[in-house]
Amino acid sequence: MPLIDPSVVDLSRLQFALTALYHFIFVPLTLGMTFLLAAMETVYVITGKQIYKDMTQFWGKLFGINFAIGVATGLTMEFEFGTNWSMYSHFVGDVFGTPLAIEGLMAFFMESTFIGLMFFGWDRLSKPGHLAVTYLTALGSNLSALWILIANGFMQNPRGASFNPDTMRMEFNSFLKLVFSEDAQAKFVHTSIAGFVTGALFVMGISAFYILRRQHREFAARSFRMAALFGVISSLAVVTLGDALGRLDYLVQPTKIAAIEGLWQDSDAGGSAAAAPWLLFALPDQAAQTNLVEFGIPYVLDPLVAHSFSTNIPGLISLEKQAGPRIKKGIAALNALQAYGKDHGAAALATFKANESDMGYGFLAQRYAPNQDLSKITPANQDAVVAQAEKDTIPNVFVTFWSFRIMMILGFYFVGLFAFAAFFSLKNRLERNPLLLKLCVWSIPLPVLACEFGWITAEAGRQPWSVYRWLPTFQAASSHSVGYMVFSLIGFALLYSVFIAAELYLMFKFARLGPQPHQAAAPEAAPAPMFAAPAE
Amino acid sequence: MGKYFTFVGLGLVLALALLLAVVAGDYGPWYFAWMVGTVMIVLIAGCGAVLFDAQHEKGEGEI
Ligand code: HEM
Repeated sequence: MPLIDPSVVDLSRLQFALTALYHFIFVPLTLGMTFLLAAMETVYVITGKQIYKDMTQFWGKLFGINFAIGVATGLTMEFEFGTNWSMYSHFVGDVFGTPLAIEGLMAFFMESTFIGLMFFGWDRLSKPGHLAVTYLTALGSNLSALWILIANGFMQNPRGASFNPDTMRMEFNSFLKLVFSEDAQAKFVHTSIAGFVTGALFVMGISAFYILRRQHREFAARSFRMAALFGVISSLAVVTLGDALGRLDYLVQPTKIAAIEGLWQDSDAGGSAAAAPWLLFALPDQAAQTNLVEFGIPYVLDPLVAHSFSTNIPGLISLEKQAGPRIKKGIAALNALQAYGKDHGAAALATFKANESDMGYGFLAQRYAPNQDLSKITPANQDAVVAQAEKDTIPNVFVTFWSFRIMMILGFYFVGLFAFAAFFSLKNRLERNPLLLKLCVWSIPLPVLACEFGWITAEAGRQPWSVYRWLPTFQAASSHSVGYMVFSLIGFALLYSVFIAAELYLMFKFARLGPQPHQAAAPEAAPAPMFAAPAE
Repeated sequence: MGKYFTFVGLGLVLALALLLAVVAGDYGPWYFAWMVGTVMIVLIAGCGAVLFDAQHEKGEGEI
């Protein structure tokens, strides 16, 4: 099979990265705002106070703008798998397509239907009925994320499928293994809760803006209080789940965790694994396989990553060397597979089965084989091919290291910010702390930034694989022309720039406008019982 | 009669919730944590609002 033009692969990656990162500007807000709206409406239904209905409706309007403009862009990505990643779709479509289809047919439709009811059902549904709809919208949007993250969990740690040499694709054999994969679970919770943090900071930041301007005080103070409490627990949870994800990476993706930690040598290289420093700052140099400068805290790396004081964490240099024998086995597997394709012989099948688990490593060698043909690799040239392919097993360390650091530092910043915000809100001392309020306003975009860097960590750290240890990214793309890729990339960039401009314009406009005067000035209705008898 | 049905209905919901908790706790501990945690986060945010109302009913004007 000829290799796909590397420029086409790079352009496909760029296009996917741009569309995914763009899409993910909007997703976290949806994941978090919906539950925050549900919390506000719950208070409205229980206390009967009009102000909580106003809050639900106003923040619901901003949520609606975000949903209408941003969330549907996820659909383009589902098509991209078919158009730009057709080899990938062929190879794992059987497995990957299932959660994607469930997402589209069940969760997305559920979310969209209930969103319609949520916006237009205020006068048509009973109070508890409308509340149920708001909860179902929140559940639907988070279930959407769940199925996507199950699909992504498969790419990080393939579970529930096996390769069939007759059809040349991965075939599904366990739905439960796929859905309950630890990676999928931890990813879903980390991402969903990251959305909670985003929603909370959005509401808290805009409320802080009103408090600073002494506008809509009652409205803003209540919104601030709810968002601060929502955020303080969510930010703690996001850090906890981040730790769980890091440990999973250590267990199943050793190259990713070593890149995240900028670890070139094994952690016990200095004599003791326990004493190995956790790097706060480093400038990784991929070519020289070292950090040009580094600064770390001793005795932190091992407990943080391996949850132990005596486990050696393998560094990138030894991981690269460990890939050598796997590449050789992978070459044997692919050559046997080719022979099996011709004669369907038992011997070829047996050789393939013996080396199957390293098949993906064989693909990595194809680039460096004579005429890019694995069957031309001989004992004489094998070592040279393997030595070149080994280098490709390491992800880009600089990008992975720093994107992780930025996400993590922001994570701890959010814990601190929400803790102070909740404290001063509970003490009713917000107006005496304008600096804190200003910080809240300026921090509104930061959770989105943390999410973007989270995805960069997850995806750049997984390289060179699109499906970990099974399919390299450069084998996964479609064989388009460069012209086609450039054209569609420019098209996306232009269209999405218009979308983002429209979103920002509408968000700023409605946020500055604040709750409608009739809403803010509305006298607070007397509390009504939750399940009041209908008027005669 | 209506109360009886409500009682049975709530009993069924409880049994379902326990079953879900046992299954999810065994096979999907993080999923289970998400379900419990999300409900908790929503309730705590709601309690914060109710507390705000209580504080301000006592006449604290500052926010
Ligand atoms: C101490 C704090 C944090 C730690 C230790 C942490 C850890 C991680 C790790 C290890 C990954 C890569 C997962 C993989 O290998 O696939 C990741 C991904 C991600 N992180 Fe974080 N994170 C932290 C804070 C945050 C914050 C504050 C946010 C956003 C508000 C965030 C959002 C994300 C997102 C969206 C992803 C990509 C999706 C996923 O893999 O779950 N993280 N995080």
